[in-house]
Amino acid sequence: MEILFLLIPLGTVLLAAAAFVLVWAVRSGQYDDLDEIARRMPDDEPD
Amino acid sequence: MAAVGLSPWSVYDRPELRDSVSQPSAGNSREALLGVDGVHCAACVSRVERLLAPLVTQVHVNLAARTLQFRFDPERVSLSSVLAALDAAGFEPQVLAQDARLTARRAAAREQLARIGVAALCAMQVMMLAWPFYGNDGSVIEPAMAQLLRSTQWLLATPAVFYAGWPFLAGAARTLRAGRVDMDVPIALSLLIAYGASAANVLRGEGILYFDSATMFVLLLSGARYLESRSRIAAGGHLRRLVGARKLTAVRVGEHGDETLPLASIAIGDVLRVVPGEAVPVDGELLDVAAELDEALLSGESRPVVRCAGERLLAGSLNVGGSALCLRAESLGADTWLAQITHILAAAQQERPAYQRRLDRWAGIFIVAVLLLAAATALLWWHLDSAHALSAALSVLVASCPCALSLAAPLALAAGSGRLAAAGVLVARPQALSRLAALDTVVFDKTGTLTETSLTVGEVEALAEVDRGRCLAICAALERGLLHPIALAFQSHDRGLLAEQVSSQPGQGVAGVIDGRRYWLGAAESAPGGRLLPQADAAATPLLLRRDEQMLAYIEVLAPVRADAAPLIAALHEQDIGVQLLTGDGVLPANALADRLGIDKVDARMQPEAKLAHVRELQRQGHVVLAVGDGINDAPLLAGADIGCAMPDGAALTQARADLLLVGNRLGSLAALRHMARMIRRRTMQNVGWALAYNAFVLPLAIGGALTPWLAALGMSLSSLVVVVNAQRLPRLRAD
Repeated sequence: MEILFLLIPLGTVLLAAAAFVLVWAVRSGQYDDLDEIARRMPDDEPD
Repeated sequence: MAAVGLSPWSVYDRPELRDSVSQPSAGNSREALLGVDGVHCAACVSRVERLLAPLVTQVHVNLAARTLQFRFDPERVSLSSVLAALDAAGFEPQVLAQDARLTARRAAAREQLARIGVAALCAMQVMMLAWPFYGNDGSVIEPAMAQLLRSTQWLLATPAVFYAGWPFLAGAARTLRAGRVDMDVPIALSLLIAYGASAANVLRGEGILYFDSATMFVLLLSGARYLESRSRIAAGGHLRRLVGARKLTAVRVGEHGDETLPLASIAIGDVLRVVPGEAVPVDGELLDVAAELDEALLSGESRPVVRCAGERLLAGSLNVGGSALCLRAESLGADTWLAQITHILAAAQQERPAYQRRLDRWAGIFIVAVLLLAAATALLWWHLDSAHALSAALSVLVASCPCALSLAAPLALAAGSGRLAAAGVLVARPQALSRLAALDTVVFDKTGTLTETSLTVGEVEALAEVDRGRCLAICAALERGLLHPIALAFQSHDRGLLAEQVSSQPGQGVAGVIDGRRYWLGAAESAPGGRLLPQADAAATPLLLRRDEQMLAYIEVLAPVRADAAPLIAALHEQDIGVQLLTGDGVLPANALADRLGIDKVDARMQPEAKLAHVRELQRQGHVVLAVGDGINDAPLLAGADIGCAMPDGAALTQARADLLLVGNRLGSLAALRHMARMIRRRTMQNVGWALAYNAFVLPLAIGGALTPWLAALGMSLSSLVVVVNAQRLPRLRAD
């Protein structure tokens, strides 16, 4: 069970990393329009 | 080119820019509608109002739309000083710079999503770490391990409460500072109590932790708020698309080729070019032979329409043809149809119907009661079983928060207005929708309402030695400058004769002096010999032209009946709604039209005052009357009826003081009006009933301690969700 003393803090660090990546991704606009990406595909001339 | 002014806002004092961001209103004053950033709560609203009180009048702030409406006197106060005052106080105004406003909205939406993500991650982890303690007091766990699990929960709950839950904490602080309470207060209070008590217990090394409840509460609540704001955005989408369609630049065709200019420097009469796929920047006359345009944004009509040379193009419509089109600018800025619709819709969003204000007041009282009840519960349990006091009080705070109650009405109203707008009916005054549900009589004007707006001159029967052209030229001179459809029918026959001492009596006729002879043009009872020629698809109005006392000619003015008029009347009859025709036209054409459409009651020869008196009489008999007219000539009628519906034509949109505006030019949309109003009312009632029933059900459970805080959080979020979903359950209107 002693390994939990390592794993729980490690898990917390990983969680923090995941949270930072998520916040960064959302703030940089990657979740703004989830439909548009799919519609953009057949568009020959991306702007 | 432009000199750098003292303040960056001074550019808005230039008349052309000032006119494009504000509308003329009563007296010399102008009405402006701006976007404002940094307004979050009732306290901010009152700050803005206090700030602007010395400068402007009639300040309205809309929290949901982040807009600010006010009137100012350009002689006394410059628009730039108002803008600068707002800016200095931290409320950045958004003038015309619609892109910046969209950016701010998008940033707010992103932050909301990020907060939900963080809350979800933290809540899940906290739940895992709390699990070993479920069903026991933690004594089975090794003390060092227990302390690790408990402090890690604390660590993970901190960003959930203070980052993800920040909007609730900040919102509560603001309302409390303003001396009021709103829903954020019990939420913030329960978060802080749960977090604080748990943190204290971690430090003490014993006692129950509520980090799992607190994080889950934040997650569920931000989720519910996110869905709510999504549905608000969907309902306000029409307005936002209108605002977004306003272009800031235009391509002017000049001697040295095309040049792109800011819209503010375009003048009336300029020739502009619109390439395929672009929006028309201003209202103007089409110079090409024909063009294909998508006017869906303005009228709700989804099919492209074809406009021919000389027809009016509206700002905001898209050129969907294959080639560029040219137009001559006729109205700019705030005078465009697009700007006027936007203004009306935004003003409608600012209005809060009476029942909405009543509900808000109830919710306010309810919140105070909840706070008191939570305190009483804590006290009660303190005496019974002190270990449960905190948990029971938290449950009461969380479970009975009247979120659903305060969402009940606005969401149903927003969804209903959105549906109506899609069918071409703009709700200018939401208040009217509650009266509309009781509608039992519809009063129609004839010309321009049941018939097409544009009239044409039909048969001319000379009764004396004058030719047709001369007769029509005299009529044109007499009617010149009048806006009545009959007057416009003569426009194309104008030969430039000069009429003096022209006087017009609405519903009777016009008189004037031409070349020293006195002429009179007015309604005739019937054509010569008593015959009347209502053609197959047209209603004719006979006019009589007299010179002094001599009868010169009978002139028939024809108006084609709208194709959707007959189905509309049939649909209204089917719903047992009485239909009446009130018109200033003669008895015979009015009867002919009524017969064709199946209208049972006709009053012809009605002047505007008589129409109004008739509607008043109907109201005295207990009828709820919807009046449909063209908005300008029928203004008193529309204002006097319970609900006025204008079919505005041309540029004078905001002058039509009507509750509803039929912008799609499709009568058919009116058939489902009462049904839609009743559906909106039913949704509102269901929502209010649901919210009250939910609160009545959970409150005893929470006080009795049968509801754990996390269960209460789940119940509260679900009850808000039910209200949101229920409001969306409105039928879509088909106009055709």
